[in-house]
Amino acid sequence: MSRIDDILTQLETISRNPRAQLDACLAAGKKAVGVMPYFCPEELVYAAGMQPFGLWGADMVCDQSRRYYPAFICSILHSVLELGITGKLAGLSAIMIPFSCDSLKGMATNWEVSVKDIPVINVAYAQNRKIDAGTEFTASQLRKIRGQLAEIAGREITDADIAAAVEVYNADRAAIIAFADAAGKHPKLVPAAKRSAVIKAGFFMDRAEHAKLLTELAELLAAEPGDRGYIRVVTTGILADSPALLEIFEENRICIAADQIAAESVDARTQTPVTEDPIIGMAERYGKLEGCSILFDPGKQRGKELVELAKQAGAEGIIWVMTKFCDPEEYDFVPVKRMADAAGIRVLSLEVDRQMVNYEQIRSAVQAFAEMC
Amino acid sequence: MGNAMGTDIYTLGADIGSAASKCVILKNGAEMAASTVESAGAGTGGPARAFEGVLAKAGLRREDIAMITATGYGRNSFAEADLVISELSAHAIGAAAFFPGVRTVIDIGGQDAKVLRLTEAGVLDNFVMNDKCAAGTGRFLEVMARILELDVTQLGDMDGKAEQSAGISSTCTVFAESEVISQLAKGTPIPEIVRGIHESAAVRTASLVRRMNLVLPAAVTGGVAQNRGMIRALGQELGCELMISPDSQLCGAYGAALHAYRKAGQ
Ligand code: SF4
Repeated sequence: MSRIDDILTQLETISRNPRAQLDACLAAGKKAVGVMPYFCPEELVYAAGMQPFGLWGADMVCDQSRRYYPAFICSILHSVLELGITGKLAGLSAIMIPFSCDSLKGMATNWEVSVKDIPVINVAYAQNRKIDAGTEFTASQLRKIRGQLAEIAGREITDADIAAAVEVYNADRAAIIAFADAAGKHPKLVPAAKRSAVIKAGFFMDRAEHAKLLTELAELLAAEPGDRGYIRVVTTGILADSPALLEIFEENRICIAADQIAAESVDARTQTPVTEDPIIGMAERYGKLEGCSILFDPGKQRGKELVELAKQAGAEGIIWVMTKFCDPEEYDFVPVKRMADAAGIRVLSLEVDRQMVNYEQIRSAVQAFAEMC
Repeated sequence: MGNAMGTDIYTLGADIGSAASKCVILKNGAEMAASTVESAGAGTGGPARAFEGVLAKAGLRREDIAMITATGYGRNSFAEADLVISELSAHAIGAAAFFPGVRTVIDIGGQDAKVLRLTEAGVLDNFVMNDKCAAGTGRFLEVMARILELDVTQLGDMDGKAEQSAGISSTCTVFAESEVISQLAKGTPIPEIVRGIHESAAVRTASLVRRMNLVLPAAVTGGVAQNRGMIRALGQELGCELMISPDSQLCGAYGAALHAYRKAGQ
């Protein structure tokens, strides 16, 4: 097995078995904190010597969660709640839940009544995130969270701890972008499903280790000749980790040249500025993030960024992986698609759901899209 | 692949849908030599019957067919195929041949509805498909026909007998079903209920069309195109004339056969 395959397999195994990662972490005497989307301050968990554990749900049938959420709430929230209620997340010392969308606003309360043994840490960020008052509000919330995490960790979280964690996260973000770029040139060596797994593994492992592996992977890929004969696309949306969906991309020789997926490159694209008070840097980063429907974005910078990404990547189209029942995504779709239309870039929207078992309609749509390109 | 029929080139298109299997044999990419429609789709004996039937009708053997293209939901499991294309591309090719100059194709099938945009040159340029539910598809009409104890093929004629519409306001299959039942209980004449059903389905289909911006001329294909009531309601909702063809159910298979012909010539 080549070193490239070796790293890919290692990261794929981690991303497909998050519970094993959690168990290993707990067995090593390390505490873990669940981190829900979007943009929670993972660095503070890391700075406290605990393991952040990403919670984007799972491809599963949800049953218990339906007692708390109606059917028309996205399957990310349903499945995270289901995992919590059914004890699959036992061992987490806390869960960070933000209020990024209307559906997430009910999550903390639903969690508190249905999962008694994992306490909630509320993550409130400023809506007007680009103004000074917004930064100050976000910073005040981060300080509060820092205190809560310190209590759980049973130790102080110093500024130096946070600065060191920020450095680790910045390195991992840079490594993710470098890897995504390299994968976009090597769709044969890194097909879509593997690409997703490599990035996703970071949710469940030490980010320093993740950064090391991704940097090595990007360097190894750079030494390989690029693969030709693929249709280059940019993906956008919240989540695009379904192996069944990504295998359809592979069947149709679709290469993800770049992404604007919240669970992939969106977070990685923005570094945390190094500031005297590292909390301020983290708050400022929230103001700088772009490319996600949950971020207050009146000028639809997301559309401009997407068009630019597509142009830079030489993409023949954009695939919008639309999470079913996600209002922020549905609202963004119309203005952002209009911006892509105006730039002459084709957009294919595919509605996906974590409870989906039949991908035939998507298969037809992707094949037709590939035939058009 | 041989050609036992002199210089003529025969190609076959197989549209293996979820509810029906359709085959078309084209002679020299222009003349429909034979066609079959079997009302049994992927995973049944329908595809094989449609295939054997179309060969028998045309008086040809498998070896006489230069190229076979499969399309539709069951395209990947149709073992006879040399090539496979998506049903969207197949419908676009077929519609461009059936309706020269068409720019928008509304295909209403058994389980889904799709709207295709073609370029002036008749090439597929964009599309949207229905999502989330069966409203606005053939399935919606089937469910409604069953409640009314009618065959789905009778809906078009029934609609023609209506003097007014019963006004089924819901586009959701489940809610529309209860509305239909209460209309029946009130004694509303069946043709009026049927017209209401068509108008409800048309609202849903028209919203799909509007997601693409309607460019005229437009045509309707798929099994539902045979339902005059539905075509009237959809045309009224969209405010335009809609072209149909008596062979509209064969549009995908025809497009696949034409695709096979073009590939055979390469
Ligand atoms: S933003 Fe969308 S996908 Fe994310 S939690 Fe809210 S509704 Fe679900």
